[in-house]
Order: sequence, then structure tokens, then C-alpha cells
Amino acid sequence: MLGSNGAGKSTLMKVLVGLEKPDEGTVHLLGAPIDRFEPGLVRARGIAMVQQHFTLVPTLTAGENLILARPTNRRLPDRASSRARLDALVERYGLEVRNDVPAGELSVGEQQRLELLRALDANAQVLLLDEPTAVLTDAEAARLLFVCRSLADEGRAVAFITHRLAEVFDGCDRVSVLREGRGVIVDQPVADHNRADLASAMIGAATTGTFSKRSAREHHLGPSRLSMTTVSSATLRAIDLDVRGGEIVGIAGVDGNGQGDLEALLSGRQTPTGGTVHIDGQVMAVAEPRARLGFGVAYVPSDRYRWGLVRPMELADNLELGRVPLRRQRRRDRHTGARQALIDWNVRSAGPGAKASSLSGGNAQKLVLARELGGDPGVVLACYPTRGLDPDAADVVAQRLVERAVAGAAVLWIGAELDELFAVSDRLFVMSDGKLIGPFVAPFDRLAIGLAMAGDTTDLVVDLTHEPSIERAARP
Amino acid sequence: MTSLDASPMTLDDDPLEESAPNGRPRNRHQRGQRAVTVSPSVIVPVASLVCALLVGAIVIVVDGANPFEVYRSVAAGVFIDNRGLSDTATAATPLILIALGYALAYRARVFTIGAEGQYLLGAIVSVGVVTADGVRDLPGPVLIALGVMAGALAGAAWGGITGVLWTRFGASIVISSLMLVYVAQALLQWSIRVPIRDPESFVPASRQLGNAQLGELPFLGTHLGFVVAVACGPVLAWLFARHRVGYRISVLGHNPSALDANEVASRRVVMMVVLAAGGLAGLAGFFEMSGVNGRLGSSASLGLGFTGIIVALLGRLHPIGVVAAGLAIAGLDIGFEVSARSHDLPSSLVGVIQALVVVFVVAGDALAARFIGEGE
Amino acid sequence: MSTIFTLATIAAALRLSIPVALAAMGAVVSERSGVLNLGVEGMMLSGAFAAYSAAEATGSPWIGLLAGTGVGALTGALLVLFVVVGRSNQIVTGIAFTLLASYLTTYLFQRNYSIGQVPPRLNRIGLVGLVVMTVVLVVVVYYLLQRTTFGLALGAVGESPEAADALGYDVVRIRSIATVIGGSFAGLGGAALVCGPLGLFIENVTGGRGWVALALVVFSGWKTFPVVAGAFLFGLSDAVQLRLQGTQSALPYEFFLALPYLLTLLALVLRARASRTPAALGVAFVRGAH
Repeated sequence: MLGSNGAGKSTLMKVLVGLEKPDEGTVHLLGAPIDRFEPGLVRARGIAMVQQHFTLVPTLTAGENLILARPTNRRLPDRASSRARLDALVERYGLEVRNDVPAGELSVGEQQRLELLRALDANAQVLLLDEPTAVLTDAEAARLLFVCRSLADEGRAVAFITHRLAEVFDGCDRVSVLREGRGVIVDQPVADHNRADLASAMIGAATTGTFSKRSAREHHLGPSRLSMTTVSSATLRAIDLDVRGGEIVGIAGVDGNGQGDLEALLSGRQTPTGGTVHIDGQVMAVAEPRARLGFGVAYVPSDRYRWGLVRPMELADNLELGRVPLRRQRRRDRHTGARQALIDWNVRSAGPGAKASSLSGGNAQKLVLARELGGDPGVVLACYPTRGLDPDAADVVAQRLVERAVAGAAVLWIGAELDELFAVSDRLFVMSDGKLIGPFVAPFDRLAIGLAMAGDTTDLVVDLTHEPSIERAARP
Repeated sequence: MTSLDASPMTLDDDPLEESAPNGRPRNRHQRGQRAVTVSPSVIVPVASLVCALLVGAIVIVVDGANPFEVYRSVAAGVFIDNRGLSDTATAATPLILIALGYALAYRARVFTIGAEGQYLLGAIVSVGVVTADGVRDLPGPVLIALGVMAGALAGAAWGGITGVLWTRFGASIVISSLMLVYVAQALLQWSIRVPIRDPESFVPASRQLGNAQLGELPFLGTHLGFVVAVACGPVLAWLFARHRVGYRISVLGHNPSALDANEVASRRVVMMVVLAAGGLAGLAGFFEMSGVNGRLGSSASLGLGFTGIIVALLGRLHPIGVVAAGLAIAGLDIGFEVSARSHDLPSSLVGVIQALVVVFVVAGDALAARFIGEGE
Repeated sequence: MSTIFTLATIAAALRLSIPVALAAMGAVVSERSGVLNLGVEGMMLSGAFAAYSAAEATGSPWIGLLAGTGVGALTGALLVLFVVVGRSNQIVTGIAFTLLASYLTTYLFQRNYSIGQVPPRLNRIGLVGLVVMTVVLVVVVYYLLQRTTFGLALGAVGESPEAADALGYDVVRIRSIATVIGGSFAGLGGAALVCGPLGLFIENVTGGRGWVALALVVFSGWKTFPVVAGAFLFGLSDAVQLRLQGTQSALPYEFFLALPYLLTLLALVLRARASRTPAALGVAFVRGAH
């Protein structure tokens, strides 16, 4: 099963194992309908899922995790027989897992193999693997595909979720593609499809957004305002990037390829292990949150409820986060100012005294924008700014960010929706495995970008002549 | 109050309310419900007080007394008796100061329970300072100013230890603050036996405070400490409503990640909170010595630091509510003191009722969250 | 020093450490399941009072222990109602429990033995009896936590309730059982204090031992044997403290009064970062909240 982020793959799988209830429709398992969506009951009927976030107990060893999932006795078996149980499974399926360390200390690949072994130990006839290869090395992924193939040959059903096209062709019999919660391609033989047609089914045809297109924008590129030189961290590998005033640079990519660290570094939460970040030629201070305001960096966080808002507090209070003065105005006066900001940014709410928790996702995001973009920032770091928003709200948010760029700010937009990135970006990079691939420039090559995101760069020919030549010169 | 613009700000804002993990709303309909119902932040404490008194009545019946009689004489002890009101004010003074400190801390979700120790340190050090050789003969106002400073600083230092242990070593403030209560109690016994002992005294005790003693204020019939404690209410209310410090305390209590990402490192605010709470408790220690006890004796640790928790929770962590709750809890103390004796009831009955209040507050909060959260 | 570490001191140390060890073991059980019980002090007090009343009425300290355990279990069930079912704030609820227990036991005690009247002393359980009982219970708890499937599930629920839930375990039920076990042990600990070394009840007789127990749980890293060892160290410092009070020493005797608490604080500080707290400790479980 293929699909990009947020297409609904994980939700579908959770329904299948009873962790979520469907609103309507039925699920048949081995011919009989499932009537109660309870994880324990569904498991007992022979269906098992390997989730993206592992459900191993990190403090227990591999053997103990097996016992927890399927106890044989009220007493725990002794060490030897627990080891024997694991060894037998390891042997039978060729999935290597160490037994003497807590699961939390196993490598990601081992943890996943253990999850799989646990499902096989319960003799699951239907195996659901949710993006199992996203966290694996190439060799591990190939090995996993091989194992899945042999499990299917034994008569089991294996559903394999991925966004890597190659894996579909290497290991799968049939394919479905989900997009925006709908099946675009449903249960068709893999042989009937080629890479290009699956990639476009996954990404979708270009939709027409109502917000101002990159092409419709006047270009007044200023000097470099945000400049990263060989910035590294646990997941980033020597990133070089310049964003100039008036420019929007988009970062596309599958989640978890280093975007999280990029956000943490540029928002000042984390110090890079190497390299420097310059804002308007000055080295950016880290770990001093209020300094961000002084540098003129606006930050639209990926998790607005964790980093950007205080839900139980008033909207007016949320507008002061990071910039609250020593002596605050009277509540009435704060509300007057806040009310104007809410109107200007079209935040629909019960007024400045309402709690941030009462806002819908789109309005909550507009509140963040009202605060962050209100002070005429020179650099805007926007992380998944339209995530979870309905199309109208997403349009408004995008429009606001484009306005900042027109006003001369350097905007770095980390996103997931390609159409949106295509519409707003002057240049676009794909983030893959901690590195930036690109830049891509308009007209964007959907296929090449889709393939780069899927880790498939064989056909990728980036035309470097598109890269603005001033960029290198502008670096301090 | 309106001029300070404090009370409307937080009456609806319950810092102890458990927000669902991951910051999701417990229920989307919560707001709509709140708009039409009376805020649980007023109902819960009042209902808790009523429930506690009802349970108390049952206990009194079991004890063979007439609850109406008992409660009538409690009320009479406070409102009719000559000194009832001024005694209540005096008894409320340390409770209010200590509970304001708890309110400050609990709003930040910094759970300390060690005000008793900070109170004792405040008492020991301030008494030590104002009765020291060469100091004790200074004029009263100077001594009182010295005592206030010494008490507050000592309490703050004792509270600050818990903050350091938390920020540096990750040691739970709940536990460390309580361990320090026992250490403070030992320190009290030693200090009145050795360094600040009154050489004339037969039992271990400090010297009389002499010039540092607080006289009874005209009209009020209580000492200066009461005025300070009550004044601290609006000051803190102002701090919460109109000052960056109060804002940061709220953000720390509700979303420490947002504080770290946008304002200031949260551990610095934690430190400030434990220092302030300790300072208020230490201040209470000095006022109690100079306004009531007159000297530091071995029975100075009466558990005010624990009753203060009841006051803070009953007052909904709102400074004005805390002042009101402090007066109510002290009123129960004063009223029961007489009533229990005349009805031959154990003096500790009032403690049971006070503790029941806080249990009902906790239960009421959980119920309110459930009821409002799940009722459509 | 030779006069300090005599056999008598060791015996006293054992006597004084047993109540703390029992309560701390109970706290290990409930905290491993993810329920932070700050009411341990109150539960010990309730158990102590129940034990005193029952032992005094029947003349048998063993019945006292039983009564203490029973009342402890009841308080544990009450805590379940509040924090596991009602999902109230675990910290505030525990503190409220301790406050109520402290006042309630004082009240009941004052009511039954009015001031001036000397409350009768109990027949005390000998040291051997207590030690045997404690050793048996330590082994039982260790076996339960380390050698049974239930213990495995209990730990899983405190570590990763989502994982346990996905495997079909009933998180609320397991946490409830663990909390009631924790309450019983706290009650038994209080009872052991009254029926063992003291032989009488006084107001707030536990003197913070419940809080010490909680600190020791952190010190032990939520493990059975280390928590008992920690309790013995506490008991030892308590016993030494009692002995030194009567002797001449360069240090004031108040220092020794504070010593057990200072050592507890030190233990807490030394181990707080190193110990792995159960990941879901203090967090109510709601399916799908993650």
C-alpha cells in the first residue's frame, strides 16, 4: 500500500487491529466480520500489526516482550526456555534479535524484527507492516522484503505499507494507493503499473490553490538573510543553505529525514554539533529563546500545541508568548490590542478572553501567525504550517507567509504537501536522510521530486544551471 | 479589585486541571458548557466546605453531641465572641502567607509541601537576628525590619535548596521539601538549646523578642503581620495579572515546553518560585514569633505548613481566594477551640473537617472535569 | 564507636527498618504500575492506628497487623477511585490523603484516649517474628514482580500503557490491583511500627517514614531488594541516632535526629538522575491519547 504522509494509511491499519473504530463499513477477517473493535479480541483472531511507533516495552528484553504478548503460564519461564523460544523463532524466520538487552537498547531494525517475531509467535495469519522500511538501512529493508515474501509463500497475508516505489516492485503482488483518505488505486496487480503512474497516483495531479502563486509574485530578491554553513546534528549531514530576502525556499521530504533537527536548530532549541547559522550576517544565539525575537526570526512550529501555544491560557496571553513585557497592560487593554490582532489575522474565536484550546486547528495556527509575523520579521521559519488544516485555512496561512516574503523576509518552509510547496516555493529542496537534494526550481518536475522523496535518485538529473549564481557569492 | 483587574483573570483558570496527555482537549464541547454553567472554581470549594461540615456533623453525632449546637457555638466563637474576629485574623496570618506561597508554586505545577520547614527556618533565623547581642536593644521598627528580612531570606534559602536539588539533580521537590521539614525541626531544637538560647530560661527557648514584638494594632485587634498577609493577596494577584513573572508562572504550569521554546529556561522559573514560596513561609515564621509567641520555643512546629496546603487548594490557588480561605480555615480553628472544649469533643476534630475539605476539593475537581468533559 | 554498633543496635535497626521496608515495597509495586502514591505516609498512619486499636481490643498484635493491612488495602482502594478511575491529579490527591489520615487518626486517638489517660501498651511482636514475616514478604513481592506474568504485565503498564493496551491487557485493572497491594503494604508497615518496636500509638507516630519510603523507592531504582537495603540503612541511622542521644558526643544530638532524613535526602539526590523512573509514572491512561 502506497501513500504520502497523511493519506490515511496508518488510520486504516489501526482500524484493522481494533485500536480505532470505523465510523461505518465492515471489516472481514478470514471470512467473518469483526464486530467488536478491541485490540485483545482482534489479536486473538490472528491479525497483528507492526506499528510505526513500536509497541515493545523498552525496559523488557526480547524474550520478555514475547512472553508479555503471549504468556504461556502464570509463572515466567526460566531464562533458558525463554531464550529457546526466541531462538526458535529467530532460527525459523531468519530475523536476528539479541536477547540479553532491554528492547529500548536494541537497534531500530532489531526492534522491528522483534515486533515481527512477536506477531509470528502468535501465529498471526494477517500481518500488517506500517512503513516498516522507513527506519531501516537498505540491506535491512531488502532482508525484510525477502522474509515477507517467504511468509506470504507460507500462506499468510502480508500488508506492507511504504512510500518507496522500489519495494512495491521488488516484493509485492498487488498494490493499493491511498490519497487524502481515499483509495486511488485499489487492489490491482503490481504488474499492471509502472513507477511513474504509481508516483503520480500517490502525489496526485496538481490542484489549483487560490493563494497567490509563486509565478504571480513580484521578485525582489534581497541579500542572504538566513545562511547555514555545514550545519550538522545527530540527523543532519552538513547542510548548506542560503535563503535570501524575498525568497521562499521549500523543504519537501518524508517525515523523519532530518526535518525535526532542522527545526530545533533554527528555532534555537538545540545547538548544532557542527557548522554555523547566520541571521543577517550575525551568528545566531542558541538556547536563549527570547533572543530569537531580537534576531527577527519568526517561528511557526511543527507542533503548535507543544511549542507554539499554551492551550489553557487566553488568546490575548498567547499573543504575548515570547514577547511579554515586564509590566503587562491591564487585561482590558491587552484585550483591545489582541482583539485588533484577531480581526487583522481573521482568527475566529469567542474573543481575546477565549482559551487557545477552544480554537480550531486553522484558527490556532492563525493565532501563531498573528504573533510571529506581526512584528515584521526578517526570517520566517515555517514548519508544516498548514498541517492538519482544511484547504481554506491552509490557503490563508500560505497567503500570509507569501506576504511576508513579498515584504522582504526570507522564508524557509518545511512542508509535506507537494502542491503547496510547488505553489509557494522559489526554490525547493528534498530532504532525504539528513541531506538536501536539489535545488529544484519551477516548473517543478513532480516525478523527479516524487522519486527523490521515495529515496530513488537513479533517474534524478538535477539541472544545476537553475541555481541562482548569486547564492554562493552572497554567503558571508 | 476591579482596578487591579485580577479576579476575573484566573477564577476560571484551573492550574491543577489535568489536561489530557499530548495536549489534546479533553473534550471539544468543554467551552460551550462552561459558558452556560456557573464556574466550578467557585462551586467546588463552597460545596466542599459544606460537604466537610456535613460529614463533620455526622462525626459529631457519633460522638454524642448535637451538631447544631456545636456549629452554633463555633459561629458564635467567631462572630459574637469579643475577640473572635481578631483572633481569627491573627490565626489566619501565617496560613495566608504560607498558602500564598503554595498558590504561587502550585500554579507553576511545582509541588512543594515543605512550608513547615521554611516557616521554622524563618522563625529561627529572624529570632536569632533580633535577639542577638547588640542587636536586641535597637529600636522596634529597625528590629522588625531586620526580622522581616531575615525571616524571608532564611525561608527562601530553605526553599531554594529544594529548587537546586531539583534543577541540578532531579530530586523530587515533594519529597525533598518534606525531608527538610524534619531537618528544620531538629535545627529548631538545637538552636533554642544552644546558639540562641535564653540563658535565664529553665526550658530551652529563645530570649523574648522585646522591642521586636509586634503590638496589637488599633481597631483590628491583631498585629501588623495580618495587614501584610492580606496585602500580599492583591500584590500577588497583580503579579499574576500584570507582571511578566506571573505570566511565566502560568506558562510553566500549563506548558513548560512553550516556556522553554519562547520565553526563558523553565528551571529558572522553578527556582524563582521555590525561593518566593519559601520567603513567604519564612515571613510567616517571623510574624508568628513577633506577633503571637513572643519567643521561640520547642513547640513552634504546629503543622501550619500543612494546613497551608488546605488553604491554598480551597482558595483555588487564587491570591484573593487564598486570603478568604485562610480566614475561613482560621475561623474554624478559633470557633472549634471553644466549642470543642464546651462540648467535650477532641480538639483535633477541626483538623478532620479541614482535611475533609481538601479531599472534597480534589474529588470535586475530578468530578467537575468528568461531568463537564463528558456530559453533552 | 564500638559501643554504637553493638548487636542491640543492629536489632534496633532491624526493628526500625521493617515498617519502612514494607511501605517502600508497596510503593515499588504501585509505582511500577504507573501510580504515584503520595499517600503512603497517610496509609501507614491509618494502618498504624487500625493495628493499635485492633491489637488493644483483642490482645493480639498479629490481629493488629491484619487490621492494619486491611485498612491499608481500603485506603489503597480509595486512592484507586480517585486517581485511576477518577483521574484526579496524583500528586495533590496523595497529599490530601496524607493530610486527612494524619488528622483523622489523631482525632480518633484523642477521642478514644482522652488527654491525661495513658494509652495502654501492646504486647509487642518479637523481632524474630517481624523479620521472618518481612523476609517472606520480600521474597513474595520479588517473586510477584520478577517471576510471574502478572509482574511482567504490571511493569509494562507502568512503562508503556499503550503497548500493554494494544496487547489486550486491562491497564486500569492492573493499576488498581497494584495500588491496593501498595496500600496494604503501607498499612502493614504502619501496623508493624506499632505492633513491633513501639507497642503504642501516638499522634503522627510514623514521623515521615512514609515519605522516607517514597524517597527510598527512587533510591532503589524501583527494585525490591535495593529498597529493602535502603530501608535497613534508614533504620540503622535511626537506631544509631536513638543510641547517641543519650551519649556525650562532639556533635549535638539534634544532628542525629535529623540524620535519617538527611541520609534519605542524600540517597535521593545521588540516585534521582541515575534511576530510571517508570515512563508512565503519574500519568493517567486514556486510550488513544497518544
